[in-house]
Amino acid sequence: MDGQRRHRILMVSDFFYPNFGGVENHIYYLSQCLLKLGHKVVVMTHAYGNRSGVRYMTGGLKVYYIPWRPFLMQNTLPTFYGTLPILRTILIRERISLVHGHQAFSTLCHEALMHARTMGYKVVFTDHSLYGFADVGSIHMNKVLQFTLADVNQAICVSHTSKENTVLRSGLPPEKVFVIPNAVDTAMFKPAQTRLSCDEIVIVVISRLVYRKGADLLVEVIPEVCRFYPNVRFIIGGDGPKRVRIEEMREKNSLQDRVEMLGAVPHAQVRSVLISGHIFLNSSLTEAFCIAILEAASCGLLTVSTRVGGVPEVLPDDMIVLAEPRPSDMVKAIKKAIHILPKIDPQVMHLRMKSLYSWHDVARRTEVVYDRALRCPTEDLLERLSRYLTCGAWAGKIFCLVMIINFLLWKLLQLWQPSKDIEEVPDIALLHDQRETTPWDSVED
Amino acid sequence: MADISFSNERYTYIHDIHKGSIQAIDNHHIVVRKSNARGFLLHICILTFLAIACYLFLLKEKSSIIYLSSILLGLTLVRLLHWKSVVKESVVIMPAFGVQLETHYGSGRVVRRFVPMGNILRPVLNECVTPVTCYWSLALIVRGEAELMLVFKELRPPVKMLVPIWKALCAAIDIKESTDEVAKDDH
Repeated sequence: MDGQRRHRILMVSDFFYPNFGGVENHIYYLSQCLLKLGHKVVVMTHAYGNRSGVRYMTGGLKVYYIPWRPFLMQNTLPTFYGTLPILRTILIRERISLVHGHQAFSTLCHEALMHARTMGYKVVFTDHSLYGFADVGSIHMNKVLQFTLADVNQAICVSHTSKENTVLRSGLPPEKVFVIPNAVDTAMFKPAQTRLSCDEIVIVVISRLVYRKGADLLVEVIPEVCRFYPNVRFIIGGDGPKRVRIEEMREKNSLQDRVEMLGAVPHAQVRSVLISGHIFLNSSLTEAFCIAILEAASCGLLTVSTRVGGVPEVLPDDMIVLAEPRPSDMVKAIKKAIHILPKIDPQVMHLRMKSLYSWHDVARRTEVVYDRALRCPTEDLLERLSRYLTCGAWAGKIFCLVMIINFLLWKLLQLWQPSKDIEEVPDIALLHDQRETTPWDSVED
Repeated sequence: MADISFSNERYTYIHDIHKGSIQAIDNHHIVVRKSNARGFLLHICILTFLAIACYLFLLKEKSSIIYLSSILLGLTLVRLLHWKSVVKESVVIMPAFGVQLETHYGSGRVVRRFVPMGNILRPVLNECVTPVTCYWSLALIVRGEAELMLVFKELRPPVKMLVPIWKALCAAIDIKESTDEVAKDDH
């Protein structure tokens, strides 16, 4: 591997395929590129329906679907110590050198990072979202994050705004946090072969129709734009609790022929929806990094978006029109986008996206973070406990107690089932020739 | 009769081949090694129940029914422990005929399952995942069956013991396929 160290990485998150979303895509594409770079990558997630046990994906990516049932929003029940035996088994049998957890919402991720640190493994955490500071949910979430990040070796955020947010919420030293933006599979999101006519302008919206994604903004913006431009048509893809409000707006303003509601759009069909439009509209009220914008730009659409979170960092200024999350400002931005639309060449935009955003680049940068994490000194329990104590007057003591119990349970597990009793798994290398060989050919009868 | 054997802390693998008139019958046994801890636990249970029984017998005010029932309960528990415990599991490969899977219990009871060779599509080494652990298992993909048939239902032998059995099963299926082709050619 060009003299570089070959890592053995365990990706842990509650969010993975067959579930679809930004985190799921990120883990999958990053894993694929790391495999191509010569690293060993294993994914650990919870079972999805009857998808349980070990599965192999493209490129030999091994996925452990642990038979733990999700209890809320695809999250497993927080048990603190319930995942310790299975995680320990996987870490030993796969000879893992580094654990990479994804998403602050994931209970499996938090537990895995806690256990991995107890067992002396190096850990990296990637935060994919922005959170508030005032509401009850955010306060609790931030405390959990503070507990987890008190002991991580390195952290990754998807935008500078996200980094600032994570540092403020968790009290993590900024020098430990890296910014590695998401990427897009440009091969999957190509523009239409023939350029669309500008006689009728189609504005595409693809998002979950929820408050956070600015569905209420759409309710006020769409009628205004339709009033100004008789040749503008909207295509709305997505579903959610706010769908009723948009449908009410459509009925009230008699826009049935100009606002098309597609409902939930499968990821495989997103491109076909995008290439039927000229402008992509994103009305999110909070966003760490909007992958939907990248997908739209890769398909050659000009983007109009709210200036929130990490969105201004996503695209160059000539590929996006930003607006404040206010209806009047959004309408102005759409007017500006319609005005500059004839200057936009979808093919040129696609080629620019190809050079700007690549998963291979993300993997290379993540590799640097892994190298940094593995160079971090190994600390004993007492050194780690002193860091937990700084997490708060009462919280610090509770965190210390949790970690001491975790340490004792780990020692008990070592007595119950020593590491030598856990069988290591042979690495299955993808064979490019036609020879019928198995990993067991080296095992003596 | 060739005999190959190796062990770990929990299991002993024995491979013996019985030379028959036409083809050799291939026997693979996974024997549970006697655990000192298990035996110790069993004896402790017996002694505890006997002590309780004697104590109840010595207390004159207690009826003899309680005394008898405690002895019966103790014996039942010991019997259950003994009855349920698996002594060994075997795979008997009869080339061109079939595979017999046997489970031998401590009581002497033997449960046998026979799979005709023509029904076995492929033997597979599987990684099984439970909420608390992962382990290797050997299973058969059987024609017409929706689920895999586990070769070892009760025991979890290590992969180094499963590999030779898997290889033997693969070889036996290959033999079956080649004999089928010969039969077709003869006709």
